[in-house]
Amino acid sequence: MESQTVASQLRESPAPPDNIIILAQDLWKIYDMGAIKVDALCGLSFSIRRGEYVAIMGPSGSGKSTLMNLIGCLDTPTHGEYWLNGRLVSQLTDDELAYIRNKEIGFVFQTFNLLPRATALHNVELPLIYNGTPPAERLARAEEALRMVDLGDRIHHKPNELSGGQRQRVAIARALVNHPSIILADEPTGNLDSTTGEEIMALFDSLHQSGNTIVLVTHEHDIAAHAHRVIHIRDGRVDRDEPLE
Amino acid sequence: MEKLTSGQPAAQNPRPKYGGLYNAWVTAREAFWIALEALTTHKLRSFLTLLGVVIATTTLIVVMSVINGMNLYIADHIANLGTNTFILSQFKWAQGSEAWLKARQRNRPIRMEDYKALKEYVHGYKSIGATASGNRVTAKYGSRTLYDISLTGVTPSMIDIGQQKVAYGRYITESDYLHSAPVCFIGQDLVDKFFPNVEPLGKEVRISGGLFRVIGVAERIGTTFGQSQDSFVQIPLTTYQRLFMARPSINVSVQAWSSAQMLPLEDEVRSLMRVRRHLRYNQEDTFGINASETIMSLWQRLTSSIFAVTIGVVAVFMVVGGIVIMNIMLASVTERTHEIGIRKSLGARRRDILTQFVIESAVMAGAGGLIGVILAVLISQIVERLFTSAVPLSGIVVGLILSTAVGLFFGIYPASKAAKLDPIEALRMEG
Ligand SMILES: Nc1ncnc2c1ncn2[C@@H]1O[C@H](COP(=O)(O)OP(=O)(O)O)[C@@H](O)[C@H]1O
Ligand SMILES: [Mg+2]
Repeated sequence: MESQTVASQLRESPAPPDNIIILAQDLWKIYDMGAIKVDALCGLSFSIRRGEYVAIMGPSGSGKSTLMNLIGCLDTPTHGEYWLNGRLVSQLTDDELAYIRNKEIGFVFQTFNLLPRATALHNVELPLIYNGTPPAERLARAEEALRMVDLGDRIHHKPNELSGGQRQRVAIARALVNHPSIILADEPTGNLDSTTGEEIMALFDSLHQSGNTIVLVTHEHDIAAHAHRVIHIRDGRVDRDEPLE
Repeated sequence: MEKLTSGQPAAQNPRPKYGGLYNAWVTAREAFWIALEALTTHKLRSFLTLLGVVIATTTLIVVMSVINGMNLYIADHIANLGTNTFILSQFKWAQGSEAWLKARQRNRPIRMEDYKALKEYVHGYKSIGATASGNRVTAKYGSRTLYDISLTGVTPSMIDIGQQKVAYGRYITESDYLHSAPVCFIGQDLVDKFFPNVEPLGKEVRISGGLFRVIGVAERIGTTFGQSQDSFVQIPLTTYQRLFMARPSINVSVQAWSSAQMLPLEDEVRSLMRVRRHLRYNQEDTFGINASETIMSLWQRLTSSIFAVTIGVVAVFMVVGGIVIMNIMLASVTERTHEIGIRKSLGARRRDILTQFVIESAVMAGAGGLIGVILAVLISQIVERLFTSAVPLSGIVVGLILSTAVGLFFGIYPASKAAKLDPIEALRMEG
């Protein structure tokens, strides 16, 4: 299997080859709750190549979100190595992680995570604000990203003036606006009805066709069917890793 | 759709980093707007939060304005109490209460004989005059009455020394003085009340029972310390003696040719008075010699103690205001944990979050300072009517800077709490 070959390569040469955008090597995440310790991830290894469209599936509580948060540099593993785009993430400082989250990763959440009082435009501008993009360019790029998700006519609406599907499209525009190396989505259709979910998936499909690397978590087979590869997770371990079609 | 991936090979674990100062400026400006929005959405809460800072700023500026106004008054009037003029009177004006109690036992009034002796034996003065004033009096003309008029008996020379200038008519002349004529020189308040549309010259005004013919009207002086300076009547000192008090206690004003001549002239007056009163070398003066410097030094001592008290009061209010702001900011950080999580997930660094909340706190306190400034200006305008006040620009600047600095300082702790939040923990807090 591919992930194993890469893992064995690693022992000789520390940095993974250029086409490997994500390399997880024996990742552990242990939540220390004082009296009990929860092993959310137990030595998980896999790799993802540039341009892949991967779905992560597994039952509830299997560690999918925990894994996504690690990949998205929102959280750090208890043990193990994680390489993102040629960088060993565990060696990075807080500020450097912030930079990675800003520039390399576009994260789409199940609950959208938009700022409720800000307009769609401002929500999409946020990542650009944090890397100091000048206002004029910021505005142009945010508008462009919103047009790309078909919300060009809704830019001044606040989240509570938008439908669930529209909110998720704002979140996707926000994830795209910095041209990240990888787009991560944790159950992006989980809060949407199936028709709207299909619209969102069509958007992900077209993003993949234009060259983006996409990793999405889902527990629905219909959704996973859009991807070209499915990693099944169970009890914090890779259960099966198979290509689709 | 264009290709969005970055696609470039990464170097050996390169240190990723944002741009420098420009970036900080963009996030700071962003934080400013967030702060303004937060302020305007919770107007009442913001105002209550800012009460301490508002009171502190208002107090500071009002006190500065009143003192400034009084300074201006002093510069305009007391300092000009007569250029190069000093006044011989029973007491020295600016002295501690203990010294004054002793002087009350010891000092004796200045009399007309003293004035005549000084006029004759002191040499080199430009002008010398005497005044006598008693209690405030009531003036009547026809059916109209004015209360609380100051009545002063003067020598003709006082026109050169005193504050008054002749608007029309004439001042008291040597002839009036010699004949102790029943004539008077009046201030504009009497004109306003008694002769609004009538020529005042030649009319007879009844003052404390006596009838006085108006011979001249003074130029308007205006109000200072809330007191009109135009409600006065001056009559010849000899008339004053004849009608009201045969042997009044007087003040003698001596005008020197130059400021350099002041001290020698004062010494000359002092020596002569000591001789007249048979004081031995080890005895203290039984009279007072007062120059405008005397008032200035008293004034300076007074203002410095007013300032000391004000600084204390302002400091207490600022600290209380700062602590209230800190608490509101702590609550705000808790309330907005989810928002902080979102921002961190999008690439906000610790310092971005820190900046956001510190600026928010500073903007909030600065807004309090601004409200304080506006209140102070309004209050100052009222005070100006009743007393005296002039808002100094420095007061506004100090008030704004100080309140903003308080917000900055007390925002640091809540902001650093916000900055230290773990992104994923913060995101889990449902907002
Ligand atoms: N912050 C946390 N503290 C303690 N345990 C957690 C925490 N987050 C997740 N877990 C546990 O880790 C396991 C994996 O959770 P999660 O990754 O959310 O699963 P999934 O997304 O696949 O449903 C679960 O048993 C969950 O209870
Ligand atoms: Mg989950």
